[in-house]
Parts: sequence; structure tokens; C-alpha cells
Amino acid sequence: MEEGSLHTDGNAIGGVLAEVFVAEVTAAGRVCQSCGLDSQIGAHRLYTGAGFVLRCPGCGDLAAVIAALPDRNVISLHGAWSIARTSE
Amino acid sequence: MEGTAVLGGLGAAPRLPWRDATIRAIRPETPSAKTLVLDVPGWPGHAAGQHVDVRLTAEDGYQAQRSYSIASRPGSPDLELTVEGIEDGEVSPYLTEDALPGDGFELRGPIGGYFVWDASRDEPVLLVGGGSGLVPLMAMLRHRRATGSTVDARLLLSARAIEDVFYREELEELAADSVDVRITLTRGEAPPGWSGFARRIDRDMLADLGPPPAERPRAYVCGPTPFVEEAARLLVELGHEPARVHTERFGPTGD
Repeated sequence: MEEGSLHTDGNAIGGVLAEVFVAEVTAAGRVCQSCGLDSQIGAHRLYTGAGFVLRCPGCGDLAAVIAALPDRNVISLHGAWSIARTSE
Repeated sequence: MEGTAVLGGLGAAPRLPWRDATIRAIRPETPSAKTLVLDVPGWPGHAAGQHVDVRLTAEDGYQAQRSYSIASRPGSPDLELTVEGIEDGEVSPYLTEDALPGDGFELRGPIGGYFVWDASRDEPVLLVGGGSGLVPLMAMLRHRRATGSTVDARLLLSARAIEDVFYREELEELAADSVDVRITLTRGEAPPGWSGFARRIDRDMLADLGPPPAERPRAYVCGPTPFVEEAARLLVELGHEPARVHTERFGPTGD
């Protein structure tokens, strides 16, 4: 992926992710299946258009496609996400 | 509320609800930025570095949503957002020019767990902000001060001109207290007697600010995307561990 000023990062999508996962997810880790980089969701690159596309900060491979629709949010995940939640 | 019928049926944990926020007070910070002091019933509290999503709804039902960093410290009785007005923006012009005390909007949060600092951490903290990227870093410095933390804290702020620097008096207090505060002005002439930097951030500036990578500081870099890309790249080039360089990008404009 080329470096540009069009993207933000995974922090910006934290609200939508929290809607779906009912948990804070930007600190979760993800191992990229293309380059093997282990990085937090908040550190991923976020491209915003008609929906959101989240990409690996190392190689740009797809991490998630997110559609925030009027009545629901739909997330398609790619790569190995690891979401941990502290037990109570 | 969206989707509660489904999740209610599952007995799931509460979602991240949209809450009604009412503006209690407005404080100008610079010619184009204002701090909004908000009343948000049911606000659960936040951590330093987190943000909120703000949603405005027009009379015809059109909605616009943006994310804004929280400026106030964790535990503060007030929830404060500092918003920079962006020309042609959909949300920020309303918040900085039109909104008055008593007006309201919807907000959800707090959001984020990656770009967060807690005063219980004991490694040095290195904060690098571009323009309004100072806001979440200020929440961290306010948190540090309120908790009496003595961790090594350093701030490098890049701003166009001195008039564009948020929280100037408070930054001076922090500098006189125990924070190494450096400011670099990137446009126009520096004011008479200016002792800070007057150029875009570069490798020498970050090396001079320290602390050295051997001390394993945790770095937080926030600002417009090109600024964050450059600062994070320079920090890694200087030898800082990529996993310890936390970044938050606003995009090209930050609106």
C-alpha cells in the first residue's frame, strides 16, 4: 500500500467495533496472514469511503471490511484476530 | 435505541449507547478552536487518550458523525472536548461557531484502548503532537499531574504559529512544574524572544528531546496523518521500539 494522507487508523473505528463486539477492541491484537506482523487494531490503517476498510500497517493486506448501515453494522474479518477480555 | 430488541433478547451486556450531551460552557482556546464543557448524564468516566464519537442530526434526518479526543483528565467532574473548526467541515463548524451553552448533541464513548496512557505506568512517556493532536496528550499530562505521578514526561508540540497553540498558560505551568515542554512553530515568524524551535519536526529535534531509546519510553504521537507518519517513522529510525510508539491519526484535516 502506498503511504498517503487519506487514511486514519483503527482508533477511529473503535465506536463501530464496540457496537458489534460489545467490548473495546482497538487494543486487541491481530496477526497478519500475509506478512506475519502482530499489531494492535488501533495501529492498523483505516480507509474511509462508502464503508471502512482496515488494513495491516506493515504490508497493507486486508484486515476487515466494515459497513455501518442505518439499522446494523456488518464486519467481515480477515487474518487472525485475537480479542481478549479480562474475566470478572 | 438501535438494535436493543435483538441484544435485549440475548441478555447481552449494554452496548455503547448514544447519550445526550448538553453544552454547559464554551471556552475559546485559539481563534479557531474551542473547548466545550459538557454535561452527559450517565457518563461512565474515561481514560487519558480516549475519544468520543459525536453525532449531529439535521432536521431532515441527515446525520454526520466525527470523533473528538477527550481533553479533560480521568476523574474530572467535567467532560471536555477541544474542537478545532475546519473550514468546509460537516461537524466542527457547528461545534465551534454555532453551538451555544444549553445546546446539545449526541455522543458515545469513551472509545479506545490502544492510544491510552495510565499514570500507573512507570516508564518514561514521550508525547508528540501536531496541532490539535495535543488534545489527547493534554488529557495524559493532566492525568499525570492530578495523580502526582513523577514519571519522566516530555512533550514536543508542532503548531503553525504561537496563536494556534492550545492551553498555552497550562503548558507553561506544566513546563515550570516537571514536564519537558518543547514547541516548534512551522509557519510565519516566531514571536520576539522565541526560544523554541521554528521548523518542521525532524530527527535532530526528536533526538534532542529524548529520552533515549535505551530507556524504553512509551511514545504517543497524535495529529494529522502526514505528521504522524513522519514523527513515528523518525522515532523508529532513532531506535524506539515500534510496538511502543502509539499513534492516532486525524486524517488530512482532522474534521
